Amino acid sequence: MKTLVIGLGNPILGDDGVGWRVVEEVARRTAGRPEVETDCVALGGLSLMERLTGYERVILVDAIHTGQKPAGTVSRFLLSDLPDLTAGHSASAHDTSLRNALNVGRSMGIPLPEDSQIHVIAVEVQNVYDFSEKLSPPVEAAVSVAVESVLQLL
Amino acid sequence: MTQRITIDPITRLEGHGKIEIFLNDEGEVANTYFQIPELRGFERFVVGRPVEEMPLLTNRICGVCPEAHHMAAAKAADAVYHVDIPSTAKKLRELLYMAFYCTDHTTHFYALAGPDFIVGPDAPVAERNILGVIHKVGLEIGGKVIQMRKYGHTVVEMIGGRKVHPCTSIPGGLTKGITEEQRKEIEEMGRWAIEFAQFSLKAFNDIVLSNKTYLDLILGDIYTHQTYYMGMVDENNHPNFYDGKVRVVGPDGKELVKYAPHEYTENVAEHVEPWTYLKFPYLKKVGWKGFVDGPDSGVYCATPLSRLNAADGMATPRAQEEYEKMYKTLGGKPVHQRLATHWARLIELLYAAERWVELATDPEITSPNYHAIPTEKPTEGVGIVEAPRGTLTHHYWTDERGVVTKANLIVGTTNNYAPITMSIQKAAKSLIKKGTVVNEGLLNMVEMAFRAYDPCFGCATHSLPGQMPLEITIRNADGEIVDVLKQFVD
Repeated sequence: MKTLVIGLGNPILGDDGVGWRVVEEVARRTAGRPEVETDCVALGGLSLMERLTGYERVILVDAIHTGQKPAGTVSRFLLSDLPDLTAGHSASAHDTSLRNALNVGRSMGIPLPEDSQIHVIAVEVQNVYDFSEKLSPPVEAAVSVAVESVLQLL
Repeated sequence: MTQRITIDPITRLEGHGKIEIFLNDEGEVANTYFQIPELRGFERFVVGRPVEEMPLLTNRICGVCPEAHHMAAAKAADAVYHVDIPSTAKKLRELLYMAFYCTDHTTHFYALAGPDFIVGPDAPVAERNILGVIHKVGLEIGGKVIQMRKYGHTVVEMIGGRKVHPCTSIPGGLTKGITEEQRKEIEEMGRWAIEFAQFSLKAFNDIVLSNKTYLDLILGDIYTHQTYYMGMVDENNHPNFYDGKVRVVGPDGKELVKYAPHEYTENVAEHVEPWTYLKFPYLKKVGWKGFVDGPDSGVYCATPLSRLNAADGMATPRAQEEYEKMYKTLGGKPVHQRLATHWARLIELLYAAERWVELATDPEITSPNYHAIPTEKPTEGVGIVEAPRGTLTHHYWTDERGVVTKANLIVGTTNNYAPITMSIQKAAKSLIKKGTVVNEGLLNMVEMAFRAYDPCFGCATHSLPGQMPLEITIRNADGEIVDVLKQFVD
């Protein structure tokens, strides 16, 4: 199955860069598997949807900040399991939600993975407001856990 | 009993903001606060790095307009090295920038403004989004929006080396040029962009301007403020997004000042309030008088509408026609009605597309002379561009090796922090009266006050998964929750 593993986040904004760190390691571990592609980007909404074009399966690795779990907690779920919080609301800084963007793309006939094939690996973070290339210790420790979580899906 | 309404993020957001509305005993709005979390330590983060890295680093500050940071940083780095870059380099950078503008303005209009004006400000939540716009205007429009974005990304990649986060601008110019084959392709895409911009203006005309309710909303007092307006202009006082001088006009439309980038510190100062980390820039020569309108208040605005207000016309013919039409329809210059910013944004889209073709057909554009080797000793420099959301200023100091010792940035949205605060307050006061039922549609109309500015708050890149959920909590004076309004569907 043609799969894209994508690290989301800002690599110079502390824990926000965790998605990149995880996917860089996944890239090393999946070298030689032509059906698995990896990429690290800082995109959302329509731009992210455009990047997912042409894949049968997508795994998004990202930071999440719920404040309800300890930093470093790794969760795995389908994108469609999340409530589409902004489906009808456009207060977003500049775009629409990924779910909504996917609906737009599908209505345009753009080949995109099915909802059941869009997975999310999320790492609970604590510092996303200070510019830094370092992860906080609990998030750093979670990188290998998240990598294993991705590899289990592949 | 004082009531408190909070429009608050419930999880990590795309540069999230929080609006708090305090009601008095009468149930009317006593005050509003618009808070933005501050991203800390960028200035510290860049100290000790070579200045040529700045165009790469600063375009990571923000996930929405990396191209703008790339350009401002490159111009500041040129200034640090006191190098006048070759004319081909200027044109290539501007061409990349025009393609970026087309992508960015298109996304704002169809994903953010469109839902309010094409679907309707108080339409059901489930329909008020880009999908609702597509349903209303037709499937064809979705395809065009995607196509416009694709062309914009393609040009950015051709000139900038990669999509979204360009990497080719360095002190002295660029690391690569374009071939004749690429030029032809860029020209063709630019011609399509002009048609798309004209189509967008026609849609705005047909759907928004011909609807009396919408026109009344735009022209009404709720969304009107009289402030100073800022925008970069060329030698003819026409807007230029990449280069020129910053011009400021007063509420009466008369020029207050026109300054070169390095003179920004003499013209812009920052006011501090105890309830927010973000500073409020204001015009130094006028002074800070609080969140008030008028010629004595140093509050200024830097938006598409401001850029048009601060200019004497547009540099391209089709955009000039639309410019004249807008001012004629809205009763002359300057236009103070903030919702007209959406119209101005489409006129800028047309200008950017026309300028794209002008540059793509310039005989110099394929010249190999796209870089001048800097020879002067690096010291200090300022670079200014017009980001889609406002004037963007980068200022760097370096040692004699070109290593950054200090940096200062005034980003697009920051310029507009005071006017956004004022617009939210006025909209809330006008819409929420004694006995008003505060529902989702009404709060959306409060939010429309700041959406016109296309604000981009902390430049926090994105959120999982690119969403911005909000929750509005109404509290009484004891902090007890009276009501909760969720602005989303699940």
